[in-house]
Amino acid sequence: MDVAPRGRHAAPEPTPTDHVPSEHASPESDPEDAPEDAPTAQAYARDLVRTYGSGETEVRALDGVSVDFTKGRLTAIMGPSGSGKSTLMHCMAGLDTPTSGTVVVDGVEISRMSQRALTRLRRTRIGFVFQAYNLVPTLTAAENITLPLDIARAPVDKAWFDEVVAAVGMESRLHHRPNALSGGEQQRVACARALVGRPSVVFADEPTGNLDSRSSREVLTFLRRSVDELGQTVVMVTHDPRAASYAHRVLLLGDGRLTADLENPSRAQILAAVGAEEDDGGAAPARTGAHSAVPAPSRAARDPR
Amino acid sequence: MIRVALRGVREHLVRFGLSVLAVTLGVAFVVGTFAFRSMLASTFDAIIATSVNAEVYVRGAQSVAPDVASQAGATSTSASFGPQHSPVALSLADTVAGVDGVQRAVPDVSGPVVLVGKDGTAVVTSGPPSLAFGIDPQYPTAHLTSGTWPGPGQIVLESGAVHASGLKAGDPTTIVVGDAPRKVTVSGTFALSASTAGAVLVGLDATTARQIFAPDGKVTQIAVYATPGVGEETLAHRVAAALPASAAAQAVTGATVRAESRAAIEQVLGFLQTFLLVFAAIALVVGAFIITNAFAMAVRERQRENALLRAVGASPEQVFAVVLAQALAVGLVGSAIGVGAGALLVRGIRWVLAQFGMTLDTHIPLSAGEIGAAVGLGTALCLVAAALPARKAALVPPVQAMRDDVAPERGVRLRAVVGAALAVVGGAVLWLASRLGSALGDAHVTGWPWLDGQNPRVVLGVGAGLLLVGVLVASPAVARWVLRALGAPAALLLKPLGGLARGNVTRNPRRTAATAGALLIGMALVACTGVIAASTKASVSTVVNTELRAPLLVDSATMRVPAGAVAAVDAVPGVGHVEVVHVGTTGAARGSGTARSTPLAGVSTAFFEKALRVETLDGDPTTALLGGKAAVVRRTARDLGVRVGDTLRLGLGSSTTTVQVGAVFDSQVVGTGILLREDRFDDVVPASEAAVRAIYVTPAAGTSVSTLRAHLRDAVKPFLVLSVRDRAETASAVASQVNQAIAILYALLALSIVIALLGIVNTLALSVIERTREIGLLRAVGLGRLQLAGVIALESVLIAVYGTVLGVATGIAVSAALPGVLADQGLTRLAIPWGQVLLVLGVAVVIGLIASIGPALRAARLPVLEAVTVD
Repeated sequence: MDVAPRGRHAAPEPTPTDHVPSEHASPESDPEDAPEDAPTAQAYARDLVRTYGSGETEVRALDGVSVDFTKGRLTAIMGPSGSGKSTLMHCMAGLDTPTSGTVVVDGVEISRMSQRALTRLRRTRIGFVFQAYNLVPTLTAAENITLPLDIARAPVDKAWFDEVVAAVGMESRLHHRPNALSGGEQQRVACARALVGRPSVVFADEPTGNLDSRSSREVLTFLRRSVDELGQTVVMVTHDPRAASYAHRVLLLGDGRLTADLENPSRAQILAAVGAEEDDGGAAPARTGAHSAVPAPSRAARDPR
Repeated sequence: MIRVALRGVREHLVRFGLSVLAVTLGVAFVVGTFAFRSMLASTFDAIIATSVNAEVYVRGAQSVAPDVASQAGATSTSASFGPQHSPVALSLADTVAGVDGVQRAVPDVSGPVVLVGKDGTAVVTSGPPSLAFGIDPQYPTAHLTSGTWPGPGQIVLESGAVHASGLKAGDPTTIVVGDAPRKVTVSGTFALSASTAGAVLVGLDATTARQIFAPDGKVTQIAVYATPGVGEETLAHRVAAALPASAAAQAVTGATVRAESRAAIEQVLGFLQTFLLVFAAIALVVGAFIITNAFAMAVRERQRENALLRAVGASPEQVFAVVLAQALAVGLVGSAIGVGAGALLVRGIRWVLAQFGMTLDTHIPLSAGEIGAAVGLGTALCLVAAALPARKAALVPPVQAMRDDVAPERGVRLRAVVGAALAVVGGAVLWLASRLGSALGDAHVTGWPWLDGQNPRVVLGVGAGLLLVGVLVASPAVARWVLRALGAPAALLLKPLGGLARGNVTRNPRRTAATAGALLIGMALVACTGVIAASTKASVSTVVNTELRAPLLVDSATMRVPAGAVAAVDAVPGVGHVEVVHVGTTGAARGSGTARSTPLAGVSTAFFEKALRVETLDGDPTTALLGGKAAVVRRTARDLGVRVGDTLRLGLGSSTTTVQVGAVFDSQVVGTGILLREDRFDDVVPASEAAVRAIYVTPAAGTSVSTLRAHLRDAVKPFLVLSVRDRAETASAVASQVNQAIAILYALLALSIVIALLGIVNTLALSVIERTREIGLLRAVGLGRLQLAGVIALESVLIAVYGTVLGVATGIAVSAALPGVLADQGLTRLAIPWGQVLLVLGVAVVIGLIASIGPALRAARLPVLEAVTVD
């Protein structure tokens, strides 16, 4: 089935960061910016710095992060509490404004956008899945799914809607209110909402943080499928190595810096990287197992297909 | 624990701030009422002290207590307040002057006047009288400020009149006094040593005044001044001894008259105060709603905190005390501010009245007792209102501290059942009130004497109360359905904002209903008032068209048509029949019973054929008049307990006479009173006390009403204050009076609406805080700030419209019973002003929009990131 939106289906081979400039270069980006991204990067950040407070109480949540999120890939961002992983996602998603550095999503620089433009961007190009409180309690599942389109007053592509709903397996529960749905079902509805507008990037913030293991598995499987089969680009923040093992790529953050970048890691590799991170936090970016990762044997068992 | 309570208040300043404001407004109204009353009382005290300054007064021995209700409406002929006395002969003044210790005796000759100002138009006061009186140059509290005391053809003006008319010494002008306009010159101006509260005082020379106001040689009283060193009591005894028995007069001390006047004024002010306090009470009840709401929300929101307190060992009583301590703080602060605001309010009112020429005493006396009462009331209100939420807080199980979720709202089925039952009973009671009212105590409506004997108005009040409480109780149960219907257009047209807003107001039906409840009460009263006004106008229009036989009516803005005008009207070409209605008030009693103050009218025998068409109940009115008998209006007949054939004793003092009741009739135009043939009327009411109230004019054959109206207008023009109206104009003149009265009621109700608005702000503000997370989500998925503000505004409008719809429906249901109950007040038809109902709904939308400003701004300004990540 060819269901990929905007024909961005086949994701090319994953590319490391710091790549060649491209024609997607954002015209409004600062001239002194770092080299531009690869044509396949759906979103990227350059020298991202985000500080909170000032003077003695200043906290550098992000301390010069440059990262590319490649099209058609599920990327997991991991790191201990306070490592800056959530801040990175918030900056990438236009929820937070970086202190310095550049964020480009879908070829548009968003780091200096007005609130109004950011609102429009979130409405049309970005999908969100939060850890909890994902749904508006007064709306049915179906209304929650189409909420971003309704807000944008955009027409709902019925076929695509049906497909997304089928993919999350919520066809029979569409007219229930959130309080009649289980936690897993709520997250699946949230995933469907994130995808129904065919966003450039879906950002998921601890999407399985509040779920039991079975529901987690359903949600993660769906996120992975949305990438593999529907051609979406998904960035997921998690602290759970099991969740991260569903990703094509895992980024580790520590003290506001990128400390590791793993391609198709196994759970063991992730655990090892996290362990190493905890042993000597703030180490230089490790390239452990990049390109070498083979799908772990366990994955086939986890994946219902 | 006190620290916990006080920190709670400090951390929720916004919410408690609104509660404080609600208390402040209610208390300010109460304090304002007390202060206004005190201010009026002290103003009138000063007037009494200034005007009642003689040592002894000689007046008629017979008296009748005034009907307070009618006294409040029509100003009496003289400046005196208190019981009405029979008049005394002017010549008694000479007798009294000869008594040892009397310096001089001054008869009180005074009456209404119309003064033409500098600009050529009549000086009109709204309320205070315009009085002319024979000037006594030695009057102790008056002194000339310019010119001289008046001679024939001259007048002096008091400073208030100078201010109102713009005239000064030497100016020529016109006054209408007695029977005709007179050209006069202002000879001077004088000042009294107290404020006249806006009255226009015109001094005439004593001789002219006697000719005009005492043509029959009778005056209301004679002021007796003592030579220095003679006490009031002593002089009163001496004067009393000198009065001949035939004079039917009595001598009383100035102190007695002052006390009587004060008591009469106190009574009127008491009515005014009660009237205002009713509205203050409404404002306070509405305020209590908001306080209960605010505390209920605070308690709900801090369920975990309270559970934690319980978990660490606080007893339920302690948690209860914490919440009540907060209520106490809110009540005390709100009341204290309210006292100050009330004092300011009265200053404002005084300033406004001063702009209309009514200067009041600058001293605003507020007793410590009144301040204490107001503060106590505000504080007690807070405590009572917070008691229920406090109980809820106290009963939170400690285990709740461990739970993440907030307990869901309880079901509303019980409230639906109880509310519906109350409303049904209320409706039945209203129906009963309507039937009782129309039966006028004659018929057996229920068959139970104790119920049939009830005052229909009391029954109406009980029914209205039950219905209102029933609706308030059932409101949460119906809220979901009514709001779903009300929100349907918004949900369809403004997708997805309308649906979101509707969902938000229906998810907590109890809270929405409680918030709308405050507005419900106010709007029910507004609707009731509106229906009464519309029904009154409709009834008046019906009455005018069915009862008035004469097509034209001449009457006066001062309630008195000068005698000269009657002659002028008679002389107009094309006039067919002229029916002059003389009125006066006197004592009336059945046989030898106690007299009641009753309005009397003297008419010609053609009255019922030419002027009015009435409903005859017993006997024939025209035959009664022809036979010199009395035709009595049904209500008066009931009050006096007379029927056809009974004997009435009418009049005061020497003019007492007896008349047989010849007919009983019902008329909305006449309302109350006794009608007599002119000559019999003159026997009862002395000429000095009688006045022409109105002239009914029928055109002669061949003259059109409009032509005659034009001619009549020309003829009465010199009398300045007379108006000539046809039936439609009469109806609209009454309608505009009704509008004025209604405007005052609306203004008083506006306060409770404003307080209800605060309640909506309160609920929305809390709702925004509670929904921070959800708002963050909506913003994250692309809801713009303006759209978010729109959602909040829609919610607010939905709540306001919901409360208004329920309130207006309740109000209309109550007023449906009014024509039955108030039939004897002239309210015979029920008219529902649908245009006004729509207007009120429009007002509700505006109220909703205003209430949403703060919360919507707050929601729109929430940073998205903080909102989505808030715990």
